[in-house]
Amino acid sequence: MVNLRSGLLLLAPLALVLVASFAIPLIMLVPTSFREYSPGHGIITDGWTIRNYLNILTDDYYREVVVRTAWLGISVTGLCLLLGYPVAYLIVRGNPRWRLPLVMLVIFPLMLNLVVRSFGWIVLLSNRGLINNLLIDIGLIERPLKLIFNLTGMLIGLTHIYLPFMVLMLVASLQNVPRDVEAAAATLGSSRFHIFRAITLPLTAPGIISGSILVFVLTISALVTPRMLGGPVYQVMATLIYDEYMQLLDWPSGAALSFSLAFATVLIIWLSSRMTKRWAGLA
Amino acid sequence: MKRNARLITAAVLGLAGSVGAASAEDLVLGSFGGSFADNVKACYIDPFEEATGATVVTKLGSSSQQAAAIRATAGDSDMDVVFADNAFAVQLANEDLLITLDRSKLSNAPDIVSNAWGANDSYVAAMVGATTIIYNKDKITTPPTSWNDLFDPKYQGHVTIGDVSGTSGWQFLAAVNEMEGGTLDDITPGIEKIKPLAKDAVLLYTQADQVVSLFERGEIDIAVWYPDRAGVAASKGLPLAAAYPKEGAVGILPTISIPKGVENEDLALKFVDTILDAENQKCFSELQFIGSVNKKVELSDAVKAMVPTGETVENMLILDPQKMSEVLPEWTRRWQREVLR
Repeated sequence: MVNLRSGLLLLAPLALVLVASFAIPLIMLVPTSFREYSPGHGIITDGWTIRNYLNILTDDYYREVVVRTAWLGISVTGLCLLLGYPVAYLIVRGNPRWRLPLVMLVIFPLMLNLVVRSFGWIVLLSNRGLINNLLIDIGLIERPLKLIFNLTGMLIGLTHIYLPFMVLMLVASLQNVPRDVEAAAATLGSSRFHIFRAITLPLTAPGIISGSILVFVLTISALVTPRMLGGPVYQVMATLIYDEYMQLLDWPSGAALSFSLAFATVLIIWLSSRMTKRWAGLA
Repeated sequence: MKRNARLITAAVLGLAGSVGAASAEDLVLGSFGGSFADNVKACYIDPFEEATGATVVTKLGSSSQQAAAIRATAGDSDMDVVFADNAFAVQLANEDLLITLDRSKLSNAPDIVSNAWGANDSYVAAMVGATTIIYNKDKITTPPTSWNDLFDPKYQGHVTIGDVSGTSGWQFLAAVNEMEGGTLDDITPGIEKIKPLAKDAVLLYTQADQVVSLFERGEIDIAVWYPDRAGVAASKGLPLAAAYPKEGAVGILPTISIPKGVENEDLALKFVDTILDAENQKCFSELQFIGSVNKKVELSDAVKAMVPTGETVENMLILDPQKMSEVLPEWTRRWQREVLR
């Protein structure tokens, strides 16, 4: 058992990095977010305002982006789970000779740069891209389908990019499910579906939850892929924050948005870890 | 142990010394990317490095990215000389982040057109570009003559315009707004007019070079774009031509400035002087298909056909950069909320 002191020592390097590169910058955002911005003149440093936060709640454009970001996070997480679970199951329970090639297949996309992977999707999905050209050539459609700069393109791109994280988390938790519990259920006459529903699924709950948190958080904070596959038309919170900072030079609004996003993320992680404890406790 | 410590101190000091020495010789230039950066290298950086022996490192970004970086590092910029459109240069000058360019230290200053200089000489325009109509001359045989031609149903689904975050985006919005009777403070007529065009556009481009591949793949026949980019693409074989609408194209003045806190001000000024030099200006204009600010420059016919000259320059809509930096955030907000939705 690790005692408190050595536990703290083990944590110290990571904690220092986190404090220096995450906590302090985040706290530094707080004052900026309560300032007013005057276009053409800069940030006004006398006086405080909560307008930047009120705007996020009252401005229907901001609200649309916030809701869209959350919805995107939930959809991508759901898709990754649906697509990832069978793959993880196959890796753990399938023929052991396939295990290495399958794991390699899952990990391989992670070795490619994010920009390259996103650009690949642009080549495939654009109006004169591979998919639309193929569909037009075989006569299935007449006008190109809108596959990019909307929810479709974003779902495809983000699901592809974050699927490996989900699969790896699920593999780890599936490996921990003792086979004899399932075998016991089978000898007692459970169907294969019932075994999966009543034993395998609840026992992999911690993996499902942690994989989902990971994918959700990565999705709602993703910048590069939404910028490339969403264009200027389909904004999410990360791209909006980027625009407030880099294009409008309105740092106070950007800071308020960043802080809200960070707060929402922490809240979600806290809620889900509570959920995990409960669910795992029941299982 | 003690000896080790001394060794480490010596090593650290040595390292710090060598870093300091290296940075004194270096000049960091904030520049736009793409062919612009290549031509800056060929016409400005190469002659400068040859003349001074210094090394120029470029840091690529858009005007707004460079402006954000200068504000973030206020008074201690990592860049020594920066290219930025005049709307952003004026904002940086207002925030007191730029040094005054000492004309007495710039040997080419007398040859520069007078309206190239910013207020208090905090920046100087380095070239004259434009936002205008670029079309595929193989597909469109009658050259467009008005901004209204872009709204012609026969081009529907074959048009691209820029997002408001790029220069051509807000400049096109300003031009259409003026055509429709709006003012810089009342952008509603422009927004209403552009909305359907933006919805039908193949793409609202955010990077100027995206348009090249759209023309290449035949996705578009006509665009609101820059003659300089079109000229470079045409010289590589794309059948592109520039048309200057009768309402007036919109002038672009990319400027050059020096952020406060620059380490070697004289070297930075020397680089600005190199940019303003007639020979280098001609070199850049010819390669980049862009107008020059040096009165002594004579351009070749191929470049004259593409860049705004004579009457088109006089007819040009030149927007007040101070006013633009004040209204642009509001335009962007309305664009995001009304055009993009």
